[in-house]
Amino acid sequence: MTLLLPHIFNGLTLGLLFALIALGFTLIVGVMEVINLAHGSLFGLGAYFALTIIGAGWLSDTTFGVWWLSLPIAPRYILALILGPIFAGLAGMVLELALRRTYGKVPLYGLLLTFGAALVIEELIRLGWGTGEQFLQLPQSINGAVLIGGLIFSKYKLFAAGFSMLAIAAVWVFLEKTPYGAIIKAGAHDSEMVRALGFDLARLRLLVFGLGAGLAGLAGVIMVPIWGLRPHVGVDVVIPAFLIIALGGVGSFWGSVTAAILVGLSVGITGAYAPAWSMMSMYILLILVVGFRTRGLFGKKSALEN
Amino acid sequence: MVTLSDISRRSGQWITPQIAVFALVLLSLPFWIGPIGLYQYIGVEIAIWIIFALGFNLLFGYTGLHSFGHGAYLGVGAYAFGLFQLHVGVSLFGGLLAAILAAGVAGAVVASFVSHRRGIYFALMTIAFGQLFWFGAVKMHWITGGEDGLLNIPRPDLNLGVTSFDLSGNTALYYLIATLVIVITILTWRAVNSPFGRILQAIRQNEVRASFIGYEVWWFKWVVFTLSAMFAGLAGGLFSMAQESAYPDVMSLHQSGLIVMMVLVGGGLVNFWGPILGVVLYFIARDVLGAITETWLLWYGLMFVAMVMFKPEGLAGFLAELKRPSEPETWTKPAEEQ
Amino acid sequence: MTKGNLSRRQLLKTTAAAGAVGTFFGPWKHNRVYAAASDKPIKIGITSDASGQYANSGASDRRGMHMAIAEYNAKGGVLGRKIESTHIDTETTPATGSRVAERMINREEAGFLIGAVSSGVANAISQVAQKNGVIYFNTNSSSPTESGKNCHRVKFVWDGNGTNFAKAAVKNSIDRFGDQWTLLTNDYVWGHNTAAATRSLLEQYGGTVVDEILVPQGTRDFSSALLNIQQAGPDVVAAAIGGDDQKAMRQQVAQLGMGDSPAWINNQQDWPDVYGLPLDNLFGVFGTTWYYKLALPGVDDFVKRYQAMYPDTKMRVPGNVFYNGYMAMSNMLAAIERAGTTNNIAVIKELEGHKMSAKDRMQHDDAWIDPATHQVQQTIYLATANTGSEDKDDMFKILNNVSPQDVSDTNAGGSCQLESYDDTPTFDA
Repeated sequence: MTLLLPHIFNGLTLGLLFALIALGFTLIVGVMEVINLAHGSLFGLGAYFALTIIGAGWLSDTTFGVWWLSLPIAPRYILALILGPIFAGLAGMVLELALRRTYGKVPLYGLLLTFGAALVIEELIRLGWGTGEQFLQLPQSINGAVLIGGLIFSKYKLFAAGFSMLAIAAVWVFLEKTPYGAIIKAGAHDSEMVRALGFDLARLRLLVFGLGAGLAGLAGVIMVPIWGLRPHVGVDVVIPAFLIIALGGVGSFWGSVTAAILVGLSVGITGAYAPAWSMMSMYILLILVVGFRTRGLFGKKSALEN
Repeated sequence: MVTLSDISRRSGQWITPQIAVFALVLLSLPFWIGPIGLYQYIGVEIAIWIIFALGFNLLFGYTGLHSFGHGAYLGVGAYAFGLFQLHVGVSLFGGLLAAILAAGVAGAVVASFVSHRRGIYFALMTIAFGQLFWFGAVKMHWITGGEDGLLNIPRPDLNLGVTSFDLSGNTALYYLIATLVIVITILTWRAVNSPFGRILQAIRQNEVRASFIGYEVWWFKWVVFTLSAMFAGLAGGLFSMAQESAYPDVMSLHQSGLIVMMVLVGGGLVNFWGPILGVVLYFIARDVLGAITETWLLWYGLMFVAMVMFKPEGLAGFLAELKRPSEPETWTKPAEEQ
Repeated sequence: MTKGNLSRRQLLKTTAAAGAVGTFFGPWKHNRVYAAASDKPIKIGITSDASGQYANSGASDRRGMHMAIAEYNAKGGVLGRKIESTHIDTETTPATGSRVAERMINREEAGFLIGAVSSGVANAISQVAQKNGVIYFNTNSSSPTESGKNCHRVKFVWDGNGTNFAKAAVKNSIDRFGDQWTLLTNDYVWGHNTAAATRSLLEQYGGTVVDEILVPQGTRDFSSALLNIQQAGPDVVAAAIGGDDQKAMRQQVAQLGMGDSPAWINNQQDWPDVYGLPLDNLFGVFGTTWYYKLALPGVDDFVKRYQAMYPDTKMRVPGNVFYNGYMAMSNMLAAIERAGTTNNIAVIKELEGHKMSAKDRMQHDDAWIDPATHQVQQTIYLATANTGSEDKDDMFKILNNVSPQDVSDTNAGGSCQLESYDDTPTFDA
C-alpha cells in the first residue's frame, strides 16, 4: 500500500531543508568554534523581519505603506527574502561584539552567552510582534500543489529544497573558491598566520558570525511558511541543527550536508512506515553513528573537544 | 582567575566552618523564610536542586565534562520513586533507593557510551540521550502517564522503626531534605578533597596527561557520570515527593540547560559552593521577577548574558575576588591556540 | 526582600478604598459584610501561561478574567469586598504550575485559583489546590482526563473536552462525508484519548477506521503522513493534533490544497490560535464553544464591552478562550455571592449542579455544572471557514449547534472519583 519511492523523494527534500537549517550553525561552529545556541532565535528573527517587510509593519497606515501594500506580493517577498536575513545578520553581529569578551576563555562561555541571548531575543520578539501565530504571505507562483506521479506535493516545499541547494552551493563556493573563504578558513586554524598576513582577525570574526546569523535568518524566512511562525519557533531549530553537526562531524561542511540528508531520509521513511518513531529515529541515528565513530561521519579535530 | 584546584584543602576535616554555617542556615530556614517574603515550598525546591547541583558539579566543574542532558536522570529518579509508591508499596527509603538505583543504572548505561567521548561530542551525546529519555517518558504513557505525568503519588512517612514522622506538611518534608543536603554536602566535600577528587581535576586539566600518568581515564569518567546521575536520581525522587507527581518536562533540553546555567552563574567552575549559590540565586530571582513582570525571562536572560560577559567565574568567583583583589589573571586557555 | 511588607501595606490601603466603594454602591450588602467583620479584598490567583507554547491563549484567557473582575468591582465587589488578582506565569510547565500554586496559596494568600490552557499544568495546580482546599477553575484545557480520572473536588472545568467535540462531529460527518475514516493522532495522552472517543463513536454509528497514523509530539513536517493519507484515500480524516504541531499541519495541508478532499474533522480550534490567519488554514469542520457572531441576545453587547476594555489589543473581537476565562471568573464570583460566604465548601456546594441560563451563557442551551465530574455541560458548535467573508474578523461559519445532552462525556462519570468534602480542608478566603 505504501509506496517507497515517493517517501524517498520526500525524505530527500526534507534532508535539504534540514541542511539549510544547519548551514549557519555549521559555519559558526566550524570556523569560530562557538556553539551558537541563539541560532534558533536568529532564525525566528529573520522570519519576523521578513513579515514586517511584506506587511509594511508600523508604516502600513502611512502613504508609503499604502503604496507598498498595493504592489503585488512577488516583489515584496523577494525584498523580504533579501533584507530579512541581512537584518538577522546585523543582529548576529551585535551578538558577536558581546561574545568577544569570552574569547580566549573556556569554550563553554560562548555557548552559555548565546543561550542567554536566545532567551533575550525570544522575549524581544514577543514584545515587538506579539505572542500570536503569524503568517508569511507567499507569491502565487511558488504556492499551491503540484502533481508528481499521481501524488500531490507542495510546490513551495520543492522551491524551498531547490533554494536550499542554491544556498549550500553558494556557501561552498564562497568558502572554497574566493579569497575571503581562504582567509576565513585560515583564521579558523591559524589565527597567527592571518594576523601576520595583515588581516584584521576581529573584523573577520564579525563577518563570519554575521554571515552565520544571516544564514539562520534565511533559513527562517524559507522554513516558516512550512512550520508556521510564533515567538518560540526557534526551539524547533537548535536541536536538529545540533544533531546534524554531531552526526556530520564538527568542522566538516560536506559532513553536515550529508548528515542532514541522512536525517531527512530517516525521518521521511520512518514517517511512512512507523510514524510514531519518526522523531526518535534522528536520535537513534546519532547514537549509532557517534557511538562508533568518535567524530561523527567526517569530523576533524577541534578545540571544542577539550 | 581562581579555579577549583586553587581551593585550599582541608582533607583531614569532615566538617569545616563553612559547612557548619551552611547547616545552620539550612536548619533554621523554616523560621525566617516567611518573614523575608518567601514560602516554605520554595525552600523545599531549592534544597532538592542543591542536591542535584552538587552531584552535577562533580561532573561539570570538577571533571570538566559538560553534560546537557542531566535532567533525564532527575526525571528517571522521579518516575522510579512514583512507580515504587504506586505499584510496590508506600515506603520512603524503598522509594528513594529505587530512585537512586534507577537513575544510577540509566546513568551507567549512558556513561558507557559517552565516557570515551570528550568536549563537544560528549555534550552532544548527552543531549541525544537526554532527548531519548524524554521521548520515552512521553511515549510510554501507560507507565509514565505521558505528558500528564504520574499523578497522586503518596508522600510516605519517615519511618525510623522506633518512631515515625508524618511528612505531609512542607516543613516536615523540608527538614528531611535539609538533613540529606547536609549529609551530601559533607560527603561531596570529602570526595572532592580525596585522591579520587584530585584525579577528576587532573582529567579536567588535561585528559591526555592524566592518561599518560597511568589513570584509566574513561573508568573515572564512567564512575563520576554514574555517581552524578545517582545524585540526580535522589533529587528526582525527592522532587516527586514534593510535587506528589512526576512530569516529563524536567527531562527536556530546556530544563537540562537550566542546571548548567545555575551551576555556572553560581560559580561552580571555581568554587565548591558555587552550585549552591547558583541554585539559590536562580530560584529567588525567578520567583521575585516572575511575580513582578510577565517579561521576566527577558530580564533574567539579560542578567545572565551580563554575568557571562563580565563575571563568568560566577557569584563564587566574584566573592573570592573580593577577598583576594590583587590576584592577577593568569589562567588562559584560548580556543584559538589550537 | 522588603517587597513583601510593602505590598502588604499597599494591600491595607486598597482594602480601605474597597470598603468605601462597597458602602457607596451596595448599602444592604455591606451591612451583612460588616456583620461578618470581613472587608479585606478577596484575592484571586491567576495561573495562566505567559510563556511557552500556550502563551498567546494564556493572555486571552487572562483578559477574560480581568474583564469579569472589573465588572464585579464596578458593582462594588462581592459581599462588599473588592476583588484583587495576581498573575504568575506558569510557563506551560507542570513543575512550574506546582510551584506557582504553592506560592499563590502560601505567599499571596489567594483564596481562589483560576486559569489553564495546558492539561499538564492544570493537573499540577489542582493537586496543590486540593491539598489546601483551594477552589481552582480550569478555564481552557480541553483534555477529557481533566473531568475524568484527574478530577478533584476543588476543580471545575469550563471548556468543552475532546469527547464533547467528537460527539458533536462524528455522526453528522458520517452522514455528510462518508464512513471510511483515517485517524491522525498525536502520540500522547490527549491525542490518544480524543482518538479513542472518535473511534468508539465511529463504530457505534457504522463507520470504519481505515488507518490510524500516530504523529509524535513535536512533529513539524507532516509530509509523510499526508502522502500516506493520499495513498489510502479515506473519506474523512479525523485529526487529534494539538498545540504547535497543529499549526504546522494546518499550514502544510493548506499548501497542498488537501483541506476539502478528504474531509477533515478537527477537534477544537482555539480562537487565539487562528485569528488573523488566511481562511484556507481553517480547513475542515471543527468545534468551538462560542463565537462572537452568534445571533443571540447579549453577544453584541459583550463584544462592545471587550472592545471598550481592550482598545489596543490586536485581536479585535473576543473568542472562545476569552469567553471561557470570562464565564469562569464571573461564575466564580457569582457563586461566592450566592453562597454569602467565601467558605470553600459552601462555594463548592453552590457550584455543584448549578444551572446557568442560555441567556447568561450567550449560548443556545442552558448549561449546568455536572456534580459528578465538575465539568460544565454546554452547547457545542460545529464550524467551518467562512469563505467569501468580507469582514476579516468574521472567520467562522457556524454549521450547527449541538445541545449538551447530546455531547455529554458519559464515560467521565465512571473514571472520576471526587474526594469527599471531609477530605477537603476547609477555610474562609
